[in-house]
Amino acid sequence: MSAGWRGPRAGAVQALRAEWTKLRSVPASGWAAVATVGLTVLLSAFVCGSVSTRGGDPAHPGDEDVVMLSLSGVYLSQIAVVALAVTAVTSEYASGMIRVSFLANPRRRVVLAAKAAVVGAAVLAAGLVASLLSFSAGQPILAGNGFTAANGYPPTSLADPAALRAVAGSAVYLALLALLSVGAGAVLRHAAGAITTVLGLLFVPLVALSFLPERLWEPVQRFAPMTAGLAVQSTAGSLELIAGRSARPVGPWAGLGILAAWAAAALLLAFALVERRDA
Amino acid sequence: MDATIEADGLTKRYGRVTAVDRLSFTVAPGRVTGLVGPNGAGKSTTMRLLLGLDRPDAGAARVNGRPYRQLRSPLREVGALLHASATHRGRRARDHLLWMARSNDLPPRRVDEALELVGLSEVARRRSGGFSLGMRQRLGIAAALLGDPPVLIFDEPVNGLDPEGIRWIRGLLRSLAGEGRAVLVSSHLLRELEGTADHLLVIGRGRLLADTSVGELLRGRGPGAAGQDAAAPAGGSSSLEAAYLELTRDAVDYQAGDAGLDPEP
Repeated sequence: MSAGWRGPRAGAVQALRAEWTKLRSVPASGWAAVATVGLTVLLSAFVCGSVSTRGGDPAHPGDEDVVMLSLSGVYLSQIAVVALAVTAVTSEYASGMIRVSFLANPRRRVVLAAKAAVVGAAVLAAGLVASLLSFSAGQPILAGNGFTAANGYPPTSLADPAALRAVAGSAVYLALLALLSVGAGAVLRHAAGAITTVLGLLFVPLVALSFLPERLWEPVQRFAPMTAGLAVQSTAGSLELIAGRSARPVGPWAGLGILAAWAAAALLLAFALVERRDA
Repeated sequence: MDATIEADGLTKRYGRVTAVDRLSFTVAPGRVTGLVGPNGAGKSTTMRLLLGLDRPDAGAARVNGRPYRQLRSPLREVGALLHASATHRGRRARDHLLWMARSNDLPPRRVDEALELVGLSEVARRRSGGFSLGMRQRLGIAAALLGDPPVLIFDEPVNGLDPEGIRWIRGLLRSLAGEGRAVLVSSHLLRELEGTADHLLVIGRGRLLADTSVGELLRGRGPGAAGQDAAAPAGGSSSLEAAYLELTRDAVDYQAGDAGLDPEP
């Protein structure tokens, strides 16, 4: 019968367990994890296999960022992450299950926060596997393509703090992107609209660079979620060099911070709307 | 505290349409209360308001004396069936109930008990996307019964059920009320609730038209009810249906021409 002040309740811990059960009990989650890891590793390996030291600027030996090259698959796998995180929310609206979720726990912000936490943590884990495998597979491929100490590319490993930051940071990038996507999904409540919006936020600034005047390149790259967030993949050597050309105008951690601000904004808007709207 | 559902001046507008209009009623424990009215009368909206899913523009709804959103462990207090397809198609039936159980700290054995209760134990590990409408309806009922709640709210529970399923759910509703629970069931067909509901809330265009027992409706209490057939032995279905049609005549949204107004389909 009706519970008093004691006894069990539908709280935050229960919401986390419920959201984890939801996530692990649909096949789409497994496929999304496989896609995230697979796409990252495959594209990274392909990129590493297709670059060579020939044709580089002989005046600047070692100006390729080998760590970044070996993590470039994130450009592709982020699309799978956006799709997973958006549909984790919008599929509930499409089926009407969101009502069951809000009946089970009428504290809607708790439900939404639990979903964001679970999806974010799952993507962080998949992202770590993806970036570790990509880095490990990419370095020998690059070495085989002439990226050797003799050509100005001393071997890198995860013992190098910059490489470790790039590898771990790539996973954090994907996790923050998942949070942004959960927020967008909860605000827009339709998969197509939310996925389009998030991918637009990621890629439109990149496309816009080709027709924007040069003086706008730096602010666009600094504040657009993808260009800012992926600055974490830059390793120290390349940072200095590319910063000289003003191509990477934000530091690695600051860039992730800007992506985190985008994610926070989307989630805050979702929190504000979810309590007010009819379910 | 007694198991009750209360609506107090409940009002909900969508743009210029008033879907629910100053609705007040109490659903008492120990009996089945039918919420009946034509399509578009506001039955589903009323239920969403009771369950805290939609916000009322005026008035208040309480379950067990409190607004739904203030319940500490809602599945233990109220069970609700709103829409049969409200599951993820890729999720197994058992997992659908399992995440719900986790959300309210219910023991996992309740999941198996609820599946057993609605006859879905055999298909517990099948994905709900392959379920028939009747099976999904049973899964929704299992979800409502998961927390063994004293208050139950079912929106059109017989939709999509075969005759055997309809017989089953009628028996279930009776036994739930017999255990002292408050049971509110909606239907747009009064005959679906005949022999099941003890009490009726008749609504049309969002307004309460009658708050009456089945017997009183038959005896012709209430505005303009057709009382002529009321003397018929055992209150045949035609007389109850006639009383209902008379009551809701002015409240239907879409009406065919006179030729189509045959009270008995």
